[in-house]
Amino acid sequence: MTWSSLLADLARGALTTLTVSLSGIALGTVLGLMLALVRVGRVPVAAQAVTTWVSVIRATPMVTLVLLVFFGLPGLGIRMSPVAAAIVTILMNTSVFQAEIWRAALLDFPRGQLEAARAGGMTRAVTFRRIVFPQVWRASLPALVNEMTLVIKGSPAVAVIGVVDLTRVAVRITTVTYEPMRPFLTAAAIYVVVVMVLLRAQHATERRLVARYGTL
Amino acid sequence: MIANFATVLGEWRSLASGLVNTIWICALSGAASLILAVPVSLLLVTRRRALRAAARAGVDVMRAIPFLMLLFIVYYCLPALHVRLSSWTCGLTALIAYNTAYVAEILRGAWAHLPREQEEAGRAFGYAGLALYRRIILPQILIATGPVLGNQMITLVKNSAFLMVITIPDLTFMANQVQAIYFVPFETLLVAVALYWLICMAIEWAVRGMDRVAVVRGHE
Amino acid sequence: MNEQPTPVVDVRGLGKRFGTLRVLNRVSLAVAAGRTLCVLGPSGSGKSTLLRCINFLERPDEGAVFLRGEQVGFVPQADGRTRPMTDRELARMRTRFGMVFQQFNLWPHLTVLGNLIESPIHVQRRSRDVVVAEAEALLDKIGLRDKRDAYPSRLSGGQKQRVAIARALAMKPEVLLLDEPTSSLDPELVGEVLVVIRALAREGQTMIVVTHEMGFAREAADEVLLMDEGAVVETAAPERFFNQPATPRARQFLQRFA
Repeated sequence: MTWSSLLADLARGALTTLTVSLSGIALGTVLGLMLALVRVGRVPVAAQAVTTWVSVIRATPMVTLVLLVFFGLPGLGIRMSPVAAAIVTILMNTSVFQAEIWRAALLDFPRGQLEAARAGGMTRAVTFRRIVFPQVWRASLPALVNEMTLVIKGSPAVAVIGVVDLTRVAVRITTVTYEPMRPFLTAAAIYVVVVMVLLRAQHATERRLVARYGTL
Repeated sequence: MIANFATVLGEWRSLASGLVNTIWICALSGAASLILAVPVSLLLVTRRRALRAAARAGVDVMRAIPFLMLLFIVYYCLPALHVRLSSWTCGLTALIAYNTAYVAEILRGAWAHLPREQEEAGRAFGYAGLALYRRIILPQILIATGPVLGNQMITLVKNSAFLMVITIPDLTFMANQVQAIYFVPFETLLVAVALYWLICMAIEWAVRGMDRVAVVRGHE
Repeated sequence: MNEQPTPVVDVRGLGKRFGTLRVLNRVSLAVAAGRTLCVLGPSGSGKSTLLRCINFLERPDEGAVFLRGEQVGFVPQADGRTRPMTDRELARMRTRFGMVFQQFNLWPHLTVLGNLIESPIHVQRRSRDVVVAEAEALLDKIGLRDKRDAYPSRLSGGQKQRVAIARALAMKPEVLLLDEPTSSLDPELVGEVLVVIRALAREGQTMIVVTHEMGFAREAADEVLLMDEGAVVETAAPERFFNQPATPRARQFLQRFA
């Protein structure tokens, strides 16, 4: 197999990995924030349910989870395509880790600022929108970028249900060409590049945050 | 659904064997990687630049690739280099190598955070080199990193599920088999999820125990 | 011939620089057996650096240190020159000094008894039974026998420092080096530590104590050495130093601090 066709195939797989991962991450960030708010807000019953949910999903391997979503949910009447199942799995997994990140940032938030806002006549919603959230999302940024690298590293699990991500492409090329070194090592290199880029972004955000706002 | 659960429980032997395999695979890999991580973490800070650079590169690459990728590289690429390993050996090797990199980095970071005065007191009392590390530095690092190592252990357990892809009969593999044979996917995999949850709860319980030790034997 | 016995610690012309800053400037001193030397001086005068250069926790740039006539940090060679000691040789030599730090630096993962017996057993390789018996006797002496199995995190500052002193004594050192032993303590805990150090001085333990405690220096020292900006300003017996300081800088210092 020529280098150009190898790279073309791997590139298609990498694109799938990135699309599925980024969709999962984007939705997972929003869902994670909502879960964190439920816990921090101590909504009766819901907060306890969320705590248990987070605890269980955090303990579940990606492979097991993706099998549960793709093969198990149809047993309850919920059917979806492999790609949809992949995104849902990533979403479920990352949302609970993001929930913990958001929760830590929210709990760490200085009480004094909330009091100042209340004294200034702000409602809880306005306080959250204009005072809490702008600071909390900045403070969580390094941890959120770190979570993105973890999603990328867990994403090959979706290969198990037939999604043709970067890893599955490498396997397929190997089984066809009987030559494992080039496809796997190149695929590994692509993962390394993506993760290194993300880590560099993480360090850059940390540095800029400390420079602008002091150690948060 | 109750009937389905009954079916699953009827296959408890398969699930139990998978659970046992998962547990001993993780215990063995965890112990081995902790032992190997100590010399690797020393290499990460050695004064010999070539060794240090090599160790740094190795650890960084291990921490940048997905575990499944490493598993496949061990499983598919080694035979091409005329190294023939059984799937079990492949799985364990990949798991140990991957985890060693993470634990080595954790130990290195903890050492960097250890107050310099501890090392100084050790030197003032006649310790140097390996004895200084073994009796003064390493015990304190292990106490300090208890919770982080516990988290890493949980990650190890979750990575072990990937071994099912190369047909190692761990918990996920057995659960998948049972659900495929008996057409009870949801209930079987739910039981598997519950069992993984129990394993992680046990690890977190152990970590909390170690934390109590750390409070007494750690720094104020 | 009038032969003076070799001093336990003999420091000649010690110099040290940190970058462009001269921290020690040709410092010399000698401490005879059984004597207590108190080193005084304002912050930044180099007192702590001096002490740490004596057991080579810091390497001086110039000068030499001798322990009972043997040079610290260097080994004489057949051709008459000296070579620097290896880490291992230096470590062995350090066991002949006992060091007490300002921040105590007890090993938190070991009990009080564990801290005392750790180095005697594992570095000096003495028999465990003998070491434990001696350690318990030391704990009796400093009044902390009941804390034998406690961990350092459970002790007060004064207790920790007393344990640190016992830990240094457990090595049976030829000289005790104390680096501002009471500076990190709350005022009400200083006394219990000074009691122990005073008793050691009375018993004839050779000691070099860097301290801010003027009262203690006055009472317990056999000799006082004042440092300023890295150099020795004046050395004298305490009665003379505190009542009739010879140099103007010593007078200034005593006016401000004593």
